[in-house]
Amino acid sequence: MSVVSTPPAALSLDSHPPVEDAGRWAAARSLLLGEPAAAAATIVLAILIAMAILGPIVWHKDPAAIDVGAALQHPSWAHPMGTDSSGRDILTRFDYGARLSLAVAPLVAIVGAALGTVVGLLAGVFGGWFDTISMRAMDAILAFPPLILAMAVTIGLGVGVRSATIGIIITAIPWYARLLRSDALSLRSRPFIEAARALGATRSRIVRRHVLPHVLPTLLVQGASVFGYAILTLAALGFVGLGAQPPTAEWGTMITDGLQYAITGQWWIVTFPGLGVFFAVTAANILADRVQAVLDPRAGGRA
Amino acid sequence: MLRFLSGRVLGGIASIFGASILAFVFLRAIPGDPARLVLGPLASPQAISALHKQMGLDDPIYVQYWRYVSDFFSGHWGFSYSAGQSVGQQIGSRLPASLELGLWAFLFAFVFAVLLALLSTYRHRPVIDGITRALAFIGLGTPPFWLGLMLLVVFFSWLGILPGPGSRIGDSVPLPPKITGMLTIDAILAGDPRAFLSAFVHLLLPAFSLGLASFALLVRLLRANLAEVGREPFLVVVRSKGLGRWTAHRRHALPNAFLPTLTASGLILAQLIAGSVVVEEVFNWPGVGKLVVDSILRQDFSVVQAFILLSACAYVAINLVVDLLYGVLDPRVREGAAT
Repeated sequence: MSVVSTPPAALSLDSHPPVEDAGRWAAARSLLLGEPAAAAATIVLAILIAMAILGPIVWHKDPAAIDVGAALQHPSWAHPMGTDSSGRDILTRFDYGARLSLAVAPLVAIVGAALGTVVGLLAGVFGGWFDTISMRAMDAILAFPPLILAMAVTIGLGVGVRSATIGIIITAIPWYARLLRSDALSLRSRPFIEAARALGATRSRIVRRHVLPHVLPTLLVQGASVFGYAILTLAALGFVGLGAQPPTAEWGTMITDGLQYAITGQWWIVTFPGLGVFFAVTAANILADRVQAVLDPRAGGRA
Repeated sequence: MLRFLSGRVLGGIASIFGASILAFVFLRAIPGDPARLVLGPLASPQAISALHKQMGLDDPIYVQYWRYVSDFFSGHWGFSYSAGQSVGQQIGSRLPASLELGLWAFLFAFVFAVLLALLSTYRHRPVIDGITRALAFIGLGTPPFWLGLMLLVVFFSWLGILPGPGSRIGDSVPLPPKITGMLTIDAILAGDPRAFLSAFVHLLLPAFSLGLASFALLVRLLRANLAEVGREPFLVVVRSKGLGRWTAHRRHALPNAFLPTLTASGLILAQLIAGSVVVEEVFNWPGVGKLVVDSILRQDFSVVQAFILLSACAYVAINLVVDLLYGVLDPRVREGAAT
């Protein structure tokens, strides 16, 4: 989140008191905690991250340990989220599921952003045949409903978390690339870029020093929503059997595990992993909205 | 206008072409050896090379691609060995159930989104607006398959007031005569209220689960567009001519807010297609989505291949229709494209 603290001057935070250089932390704090919904989202994410990191240390149990004698137990002090049909502790599996989702989601957001930025900036800055070909490729990816293409990629590369992650990244690249391309195009004729060019700055210096800082906010908003999208899609892929394979603890596959027990009274097996997905995705979406609202107070409705 | 039209159509065709390459690469070129998949690990090299020849796998890659594409567009989608049926038959027989589910999910999403967007932008009512925003976030963040399960737990398992998974109509209700294959519509056509009601009750939970994400998308867009349109000067003119505030809001602001919302049709269709895959699994709904998941689990990818390219075609087609509609409805777009 530290990228937020250095917004270019053009994006002055109108709705807030002027941010001095010394107030970077204050700016980040007001961004994350300044509005009730955003504060709640930050806290929820912090709790999930804490569970992912500390959970397995504090509550150290084996997520794959089968204990048939303890199968299908209600939530209790010994098993706060109950146990599944193999007697595995759901809290432990929830924590490991959080580890997986909270590792994959930022990976997708960052790698997708890096690849999308390269494609989008090259297309926007150089234009010509590269622009045509790369944008056609992006259109081909966008021609699929994202989950469906992610399914195809996962089938092609062989089921598992790694293929699923690659599939989700591929579907996310065009979103970044298109944004970055139009940003680059609109920046091209702006006076400060022309000034830099007139001063003799090389193309790569202009991109690094002038274009990239300018598009960071765009990347941040897009990245936060891709974060949520990645968690949701990883769970959906896991649910249909293409993502994490048993006995890996992943939220989507945990829901599959509890599928047949949900309507026979063992509601807890499916409830908790789903709540994990819901809270993580919603928190990311709320923060994406918050960043958008702060950076561009006119768009997206006032908070 | 003609240039606008042909440009958009060519763009759509180019997208489908690109999509078919992607589908070919991931579903035909990369995954292992299809001949080995059919014959099993113990097959002799002779048998495999014979099947290679038969399946055309020793042809150059562009020949294989061409065969793949021409087979798809001429309706030869292959044969599903596990079901003993051609893929076309399988998808065709299951399509009505999916269409019906998608239709009701969309209706539900549309009606609630319009209502809530109208109410939340009418005058300044922070409570309704807050609830709408919260519902939109809930809709965007809830995995549809999990929502379906939770609804089943509450309304079927605990309260017992709605039917469980696995059926589209009550056991004791005679099926309406088959016309479209969509039970609610067939029941209406046959004038059979009992069948309609039963089919409708069976649709409630799956349609709600499938539609919630689309509702969230729609209500966010509509709300933002309505707020934007509400600041336009023409509304002041309409009001100063003596029109009531609510009438102006509904009759003049809403249609204008719809126009930019139209561009989200493709996104909504994508959500309905992707959502149907997981929701049908939960409700054991005999549609295409369930067929796809079952085929994945049986490692029978012929169905999946056809489905993936089909959904891309549907997605590109609806985007094209929306683009063209947009040109018809909004002269500014048409003019802009012509110059």
